[in-house]
Amino acid sequence: MKNMFSSYQPKNSFDEYFKDNVNSAREILIPLLSSLDNMGLEELNRNHSAAKKLLLRHGATFRLNDTGLKGTERILPFDPLPRIISKDDWVTLENGLKQRLEAIDLFLDDIYNSQKIINDGIIPRELIESSEGWRPQMIGFKPPLNKWCQISGLDLIRDRKGDWHVLEDNLRCPSGVAYFLENRLVMKNIFPNLFSGRIVKPIDEYPSYLLKTLQELAVWTDTPKIVLLTPGIFNSAYFEHSYLAQEMGIQLVQGHDLVCNDDYVYLKTTSGLKRVDVIYRRIDDDFLDPLNFRKDSCLGVRGLLDVFKAGHVALANAPGTGIADDKMIYSFVPKMIKYYLDEEIIIKNVETYICHYQKDREYVLENLSKLVVKSVAEAGGYGMLIGPHSTTAEIEEFAYKIKKNPRNFIAQPTLELSTVPSLCDGELYPCHVDLRPYILRGKDSWVSPGGLTRVALKKGSLVVNSSQGGGCKDTWVVGK
Amino acid sequence: MLLSRVAESLYWINRYLERAENISRFVEVSEAMSLDCPPGSAEPWLPLIDASSDREYFDKRFPEKKPDDVINFLIRDRLNPNSIISCIQMARENARQIRDVMTTEMWEQINILYWNMQEGESIWNKPRQEQLSEIRRECQLFYGITDATLSKDLAWRFSILGRLIERADKTSRILDVKYYLLLPSLDELGGVLDELQWIALLRSAGAYQMFRKAVQNSIKPNSVARFLLLDPIFPRSVRYCLDGISNTLKTIDNSPSNENPSELECMRGLLKAKWSYIRIEDIINDGLHEAIDSLQMDLNKLNDLIQEKYFIN
Repeated sequence: MKNMFSSYQPKNSFDEYFKDNVNSAREILIPLLSSLDNMGLEELNRNHSAAKKLLLRHGATFRLNDTGLKGTERILPFDPLPRIISKDDWVTLENGLKQRLEAIDLFLDDIYNSQKIINDGIIPRELIESSEGWRPQMIGFKPPLNKWCQISGLDLIRDRKGDWHVLEDNLRCPSGVAYFLENRLVMKNIFPNLFSGRIVKPIDEYPSYLLKTLQELAVWTDTPKIVLLTPGIFNSAYFEHSYLAQEMGIQLVQGHDLVCNDDYVYLKTTSGLKRVDVIYRRIDDDFLDPLNFRKDSCLGVRGLLDVFKAGHVALANAPGTGIADDKMIYSFVPKMIKYYLDEEIIIKNVETYICHYQKDREYVLENLSKLVVKSVAEAGGYGMLIGPHSTTAEIEEFAYKIKKNPRNFIAQPTLELSTVPSLCDGELYPCHVDLRPYILRGKDSWVSPGGLTRVALKKGSLVVNSSQGGGCKDTWVVGK
Repeated sequence: MLLSRVAESLYWINRYLERAENISRFVEVSEAMSLDCPPGSAEPWLPLIDASSDREYFDKRFPEKKPDDVINFLIRDRLNPNSIISCIQMARENARQIRDVMTTEMWEQINILYWNMQEGESIWNKPRQEQLSEIRRECQLFYGITDATLSKDLAWRFSILGRLIERADKTSRILDVKYYLLLPSLDELGGVLDELQWIALLRSAGAYQMFRKAVQNSIKPNSVARFLLLDPIFPRSVRYCLDGISNTLKTIDNSPSNENPSELECMRGLLKAKWSYIRIEDIINDGLHEAIDSLQMDLNKLNDLIQEKYFIN
């Protein structure tokens, strides 16, 4: 490469653009690299600023963890160099994701009903019932279509060899899909030349599939009234909530816009109460219904769970799905796939040590400086220890926490996530990435082509979460 | 079907933007006018604070009452809930709440205006007259975009309602305050006054050109008051706004019953009738200030009745 990548040096990890150095580009990247080289670094930087302005104008912003009108509001850092996945790779991933979600849904239905997987000794009962995601209120319940998990977003990574792994299952209102869609919009707007002559799989159908998925849940009517329930403008994913509601043409509502009355749930409108059939809720189980879950919640709707259980409203996702994205239950997914589907897992798990088990715990405590320790119920990169990057004091603190509450922790080997060239302070630098594809499950399953690539835009950082300073980039599934 | 919360937000977005537009117009005109005032003559500044009913709060915060204090208080004081910057911030907060209902164009217009008004952004780098007229243009652009992109359904009607109520209120306030500023004593009512000042008043209300078209004679206080209060076709006159309010409310409430009219129906009907059939001589004889005062109370009452009927349930 002449100009653009002249000073770029891939790291020790798997670089998704280059095999060893900038003279050995991966074949699928060659056409893009030549377009980028024609553009040059200066123009790339200029267009990058234009892209940021566009995101601000669209209001693609989130608010950091503070409230009040003067809270800091900013766009999710956006990197202009797309991440590319070949069509062949993608087909495998797509099948793997469908397989995984199929098994997880069967698992959810099983543990809230006949509990065969427990009775057959595959998963210990104590691990299920001690999970923070376990909702005994749902025992004996069958949601519409027998499906619990309509919308999920799984985190995938590539290891040093380039092999794909599932890192986390996000089954409780996963976010980021609006950035996934918005990034493509910005790329098309600002960098149209990069697309020309290339077959990038379009992603615009997501809102249509989401709407269809939600509609299918209302098995009692052909003309369902669907709403998206948001905690409101102070939620960091609020942009996404309003974006999706607008794209689907459904109403965006808050808890106090709804009321449960005579076993049904209604919208408060200027012409009185109107019945609601389906709620795409972006509020966690705990806050959904102060009558049945947390009493102090003012975000949800009183009595909503009872209406749901009476079969008079559909909730996506059903309450209780959190049991399956407990980071400890995660380690059982390969067994679930075998148990329910009698298949081998297509996308592998990351090796996971369960601190609940004595043997694993001893190993973890002895090797804390080499491992990543995660709290099983936390998300967003919180409650984590990254051994190799931690101080002795931090390691001791985690050792104490693990001994005190072993059920709450798992550990995994430190993974060198794959890297993709990204703009860091105006220069190209190999930054670590993960990938969050979105899976929709109504009557059929649908996987978004690609997903949100999150990127650690700080030199040397492995943390890609937006709440921890990460950014994102457009993801292209390329090929005939 | 429209959510009560959404109706309320649309109503207030338009009230806030209309308020911001009016303040920018008041300040813009007063600033131009103050340049014509000889030193020591009646300055146009404090009456602007009176017009927004914030005098007490202002005096407490700025005892020196310098012209710059007034201007900053009205334009970019974040502590003043009625400053332009606060109004635009509130409008955008409301807009954020209901982005799914507004068109993308409406949202982007309000969003970009908000970001331009943050510290260090483009609007503040311009000369003040430019700043103010740009803010005014941006607000008007929002109305234009609304009218051109939003379906003429309930959402649009509640937008119009907020816009018209605020406009009727502001037109009446500017007349009330200026009228007495410009008339040193009641004896001079109808006397010859500095025409420049009357022109400034009309400009503050955005009415100068249309007044000239409508009234060919020299500018007299009564004809100015008549035009701003009672003109049937000028879009910023009190009467025109009340007609619009009445019609809009009638369309929103499309199920008239044969029972006694509700308090809201009575209010809109009586207000419309009163301001359609009263003559300016009668208003002046009974006291212009009193008439305007009672109008403002009526508008507040109307606001409360709308609130009660449509926004809370």
